[in-house]
Order: sequence, then structure tokens, then C-alpha cells
Amino acid sequence: MRSVLLVLVAAVALAGCGGSSSPSHRTPLTIVVNGPFSRSPYLGRTIENGARLAVQEVNANGLRVAGTTYELRVRTLDTGLSPARAVANMRRAVGQDAIAVVDEGTGIDASWRIANDAGVPIGVVFEGGRQIVDPVTRPNVFRIAPTDHGLAFRLAEYLIPKGLKIALMHDDSDYGAAGGRALATAFSRNRSSVAIEETLPADALDLGPQVLRARRAHATALLVWGRPATIAAVLTAARSAGWNVPVFTPPTGADPFVRQQLADHPQWVDGLTFAGGRLTAEVGTGPFLTFEQKYESSFGVDRVGVKTRAGRAVVVLPETAMYAYDFVNLVAAAVLKAGSTAPPRITAALNEVTTEGANGDQRGFNRNNHEGVVDDDIYFARFHDMTYAPVKDDPLSATLPTLPQTR
Amino acid sequence: MRRWTVAALAALAVTGEAHAADFVALPSPLAPLSAAPPLAGGATASSEGFRHRVDARTTVDVSLDPDGTPFRISATQRLDVRVKGDYFFTIGAPVLSVEAAPGSASTPGLRAASILWAGFNPGRRRLIARAALDPAAASRSLPLRGEAAPGRITLVNATGVSAGSFTADAVVPPRRQYLAGLAHDVSRGIPATSGGALVTTRPVATKVRVAAPLLVTGTIGRRHVRFVLEDRSTIHAGGPIRLTVTPQDPTRLLRAPVTGLSGRQLLDRATRASLTLARVRQYRTFLGNPDATGKSRTTYAFRTAARPAPPPAVIEHHERRSPTVTLAAVAGVLLALAGAAFAWSRS
Repeated sequence: MRSVLLVLVAAVALAGCGGSSSPSHRTPLTIVVNGPFSRSPYLGRTIENGARLAVQEVNANGLRVAGTTYELRVRTLDTGLSPARAVANMRRAVGQDAIAVVDEGTGIDASWRIANDAGVPIGVVFEGGRQIVDPVTRPNVFRIAPTDHGLAFRLAEYLIPKGLKIALMHDDSDYGAAGGRALATAFSRNRSSVAIEETLPADALDLGPQVLRARRAHATALLVWGRPATIAAVLTAARSAGWNVPVFTPPTGADPFVRQQLADHPQWVDGLTFAGGRLTAEVGTGPFLTFEQKYESSFGVDRVGVKTRAGRAVVVLPETAMYAYDFVNLVAAAVLKAGSTAPPRITAALNEVTTEGANGDQRGFNRNNHEGVVDDDIYFARFHDMTYAPVKDDPLSATLPTLPQTR
Repeated sequence: MRRWTVAALAALAVTGEAHAADFVALPSPLAPLSAAPPLAGGATASSEGFRHRVDARTTVDVSLDPDGTPFRISATQRLDVRVKGDYFFTIGAPVLSVEAAPGSASTPGLRAASILWAGFNPGRRRLIARAALDPAAASRSLPLRGEAAPGRITLVNATGVSAGSFTADAVVPPRRQYLAGLAHDVSRGIPATSGGALVTTRPVATKVRVAAPLLVTGTIGRRHVRFVLEDRSTIHAGGPIRLTVTPQDPTRLLRAPVTGLSGRQLLDRATRASLTLARVRQYRTFLGNPDATGKSRTTYAFRTAARPAPPPAVIEHHERRSPTVTLAAVAGVLLALAGAAFAWSRS
């Protein structure tokens, strides 16, 4: 009996020495999501969900570094779209020994220094302003999101050959102002294509006068760079005046808010064309649909809150979540590459790793370029019946399949 | 063609009666004979289900100091990419820095030991990178070495390598045909493919030393040179070197008459030609080509140049005070203290 007990004790002890450690024996590593949870809840939540999904997958096996198994944990901090709060959040993130920060982008011009002093990498997954990322002066700032520069140049490349007279309109939010600068640069060599340039008040409900000015300037297309509310207001002003002018936007045109605002007039959304980061790779829709399925299994379906004419509910494709997901996966790969959990070493290793992104594309940074979405990956999609499909008159977009957006 | 086939079959039949002819694979004209070149493991393409067609043209600029030692190496690689779709190329190299050269449709990325290209090719795209390479690592893979002495310089073909091979008696007609096929492919710029041989005796392992022939053109001092360097050559001239070196196909080997050669001699020549082609291919892909079957060319330009002056040494100025000054200072301090003590005692 005694020998049997000894064998049992030995067996239990040996089992404890096994390769995979249980989550309770793992050392936590914090990743902070710094997002606008109170002012732009959908955006904040989708960034958080993307990060959490990647963390779940990484933690399935844990991160084994130098004999210790680590697991990632997500902490969320609300910027409320306030740069001051974003900066304060960054101090907290550093104080909580975060190994990385997934950031929407608000206040990054000030907050990056705080993170940089501790060597903490920041992954911007929404704001596209050109000044945000600079591998030389801001070595800890990375981005996985289409850049304003890339969006503006792709829009110019797409629109100028069409011979349109374009009204360049941007709102006075940080996002709109940065976009306005990018558009000014992109159209600087083709001023004859520009009918008028206008700055729109971001909080205005009625943009009728500004839209009327564009019409009187003989604009034959509106290119509107602003928050979703601005785009909805421009569409309302134009369509309610009976002006069926084509409207082009950056990715905010696909924000659910635009369709929610125009739910009573779904035909006003028809034809709205936006530029965005491609959601699928050459391999097809498979990888993205798999990612979407995992996302929905974990967090449920994000519904736009509108229906198609056939009565089917329209859902949001988790584009920004995909960027957060990819960044967290790159951080995990960088931890393994660095063989260390020290933030400065993770930051350095982020320049050297590539992972397969949620859309099947190769995702990674390098020493010269901290942009995870290259300009070539920007495509155009057009709305019809509250859902959108890639356009056929652009070489890249024409190769992309349409993703299902109803349930 | 039909005549060759009939002859080969007849030969087979004859040898089949004497010895059972064995089929053995010849050394590949494509497989590298050493780890480098291409540098740092070569190039890869992370394809998404299809392959881009890529032609690579590389110019390697080598700066030499007066004794012929390379001290700066840069490479400009032009990739002509065809086939619509995404691309993600990794070009291995001991790269110190990289930038897009004029005419490039995109900007290259830099990692610890590679150049990165990523983007969408709408049909045809030219990607041009200019990279500064670590001379200590890259110079080991240069095809030419110079040994300077007063009034002369010896140019050494540094591509030589010992490769494993074999020798045996072989059936003659297929060997002739294989050599003719190799020469045909090479003359048309088609990548040569591997072949096999019917041998009638047991193959014996051997070592063969092969080198890529190098076309050397340019000037050494005032002397113009243009010749194919197979091994080494001493030029009686001195002065700055301005030489362009291009790996050449082994045409001498491929075009030499085969009449009267035995099956063993033909087999030896075929294996040597095959191995030499493999070596030439290596030096034509100094930086690698993400399309393994794409065309690759590399030109090496060797130039004598002045080494950059080392950064000026920091001169630290230590003010050396004379003992007299130091004594005077100490005396002054003591006097001041004594004065202060006196004033305090009186207060």
C-alpha cells in the first residue's frame, strides 16, 4: 500500500513538471487598449475585441520565454477622444508595466514620448495622419491602418482620370484636418480637377450652405474627409436638395453611423464610394471569413442597425478589429523573437517579424517602415442597398471579392 | 532527333548485352555549390497561391583601397515584376541601409539581414533598391580578388570551388546529345535543366574544381584590359583600378569538339559543364531573385577609391594649472578663512 502511494505521489509530481503550464501558473503581461470607449463606443469596442481575440489565441499555448510561460492580458483605458486623457492614459499604461499599447491614435503626438521613454511599443490602428508614424523620430510608434497619405493619393489616382471637378471637403476635427492636408498634397499637381476646397464644422447638423457652395462651384463630385457624422450630413444636404452628385470618402464612409443616420433614406447611401484597406488577400475570402467567424463567436455580431430592401439585417465587417488583432499577434511574435518581455527589446524585434494577418496578407514592419498597411492595399468600394462591394474600375479593387454583410 | 534516339536505343541495346546500364543523375546546373552567393540565404517570395515572374538585374559597386582591399560595397537591384497580384519579397543580404533608387515604384523595407518588398502589382512593376552592404560579410562572395604589388596586379578568379562529382564509362550518344542540349539552352538564355546518364561501369566519386568564367573589362592605371578570367592573371600595370566583371557562360567548355571522345570523357565534360553553369548562376544572383526561374544578371564594378577619413579624434583639453597658480589659490582660500574667523571672533 505504501509503495502504491509513493508511486502515485511521484506520478503527480512528474505530471506537474509537464511542458504546458496551466493558465494559473503563467506570468501575466499587460497589453493596454487606449481607445475612445465613451465618445465613439463602436470604434473603442471593436479595437478592444480585436485585441482580446488575438490574446485568447496567443494564450491558448502561452508565450514561453527563457523558461517562463507568460500570458497576455488586456486592460482598457478610455480616451474620450481627448488628447489630454490619452496622454494621462499612456502614463498609467507605462506605470502598469504594459508591454505594448494598442491605440486609436488620439493624442499620439504627445503620448508617444511617454511610452518611448519606457521603450513601450504603440500600435495605432485607426488614425492615419502622416506625422503619427516616423521610424526615426518615433521608433516606438507602429501603425496598422491605411494612412491618410495613401488614401488621398489612391483617391486622386482613381478620381482624376475620370475628368471630374471635385469639391474637396474636410471637417475641422483632428481626423478631418489631417485628411485635408493629405488631400491638398495629393491634388497639388492636378489643381484643374479641384472645383472648390471647403472646411466643414464637425459638429454641424446642417451642411446645406457648404454643399450649395460646392454646387455653385460646378463640382461634379464631392470628396468628403471627416468623421461619420460629417459624411452623413453632407449626404443629407446634397440628396435632400435633389443633387445626385457622386460622393467619395475615406474609410469613415463605411462606419455604421453613416447608415444609421440615413436609415430613413437608404437610397441616399447608394453610390457612396469609400477608400479603405483591403479585407481580403489573393488567397480569397477564406482567412477573413474565418477571422470574422471567430470574432462573432467570441463577441457576437456587430449589427449596423439597418436592413436591406429584402429585409436582411446588415452587419459590420470587423476591419479595425482586424488591425488590432494583427498588432497583438505581431507583439507576441516579437516577444518570442526578442526572447524577452522587456518593452525596448520587443520594440526592436517588431522591426524583424512578419505574421500572417487576419485577411491572409503578410503583416509586418521593418526598420525603414512602421506602416503595416501599404498604400497598394487601399481599395475602393461602393454602397448599394446598405452593403458595399469593391468597384470594378480600379485594378486592385477589381480583383477583390465581395464579402457577405447580411445575416 | 529521331536518328539520335535510334542511335541511343541501339547503344543501349548493345551495352545492355555486355553490362546492365545504370541511370545516374548528373549534377544539377541549378543547385548552388556553396552557401553564398546569393548572400544571406538568397531571396524568397511569400506567394498567396500564385507566382510572380521576376527578372533581376543587379549592379554591385565595390570600392577598393590602393592595396585592392574592398572597404565599401553597395548593390543596386532592379526587379522587373510581372503577373498581377500581391507581392511580398524578402531579399537576403548583410544590409546596412537601403533606399529606393530613382524609377522605383515602391520603397524597400529594411530588416537585420534582408530587404523587403511588399505591395500590389497591377500588371508590371519595377522595384529598384540601392543598398549599402556590410563589406566584411559581402566581400567574401565577390568573384574577383586583386593582389597588388609594385608595377603589377594579379587578378584572381575567386569563384573557384570543389564540388562532388563522379566518373564512369557512359553511353556515348546521349552524352553528346546532353552537351548539345546544354549549349543550346545556354545560347538562348534558357535555364539549363538537370539530366542523367547511362553508365556502364560503377560510378566512382570524385571532386571537381569549377569556377565561373569572368569577363573582365576596364582599365588598370592607363592600361585597358578585356579578357575572360578562368583562374588568375597578372597584369603589369599600376594605378587606379576601374574594372567591370561579368560572370560568363562556360562557352569554351560547351563548344569544344566532342568527336572522338569516349563516353567517360564526355561524362566528365558534361558534369563539369553542369557544375560550372551552377557556379555561374550563383554569381549572377549575388542578391538572389524571388522568382527561382526568373532571369538574373549581376555586374560587378570594382573601383579604386579613397577610404573615407575616420572621424576626427576628440581632443580633450585638460587645463593644466601650474603649481604656482595652485599654491596661490590655496593661500588665497586660507587667507579668506582666517579673515572670516577673525571677523567672527570680533563680532
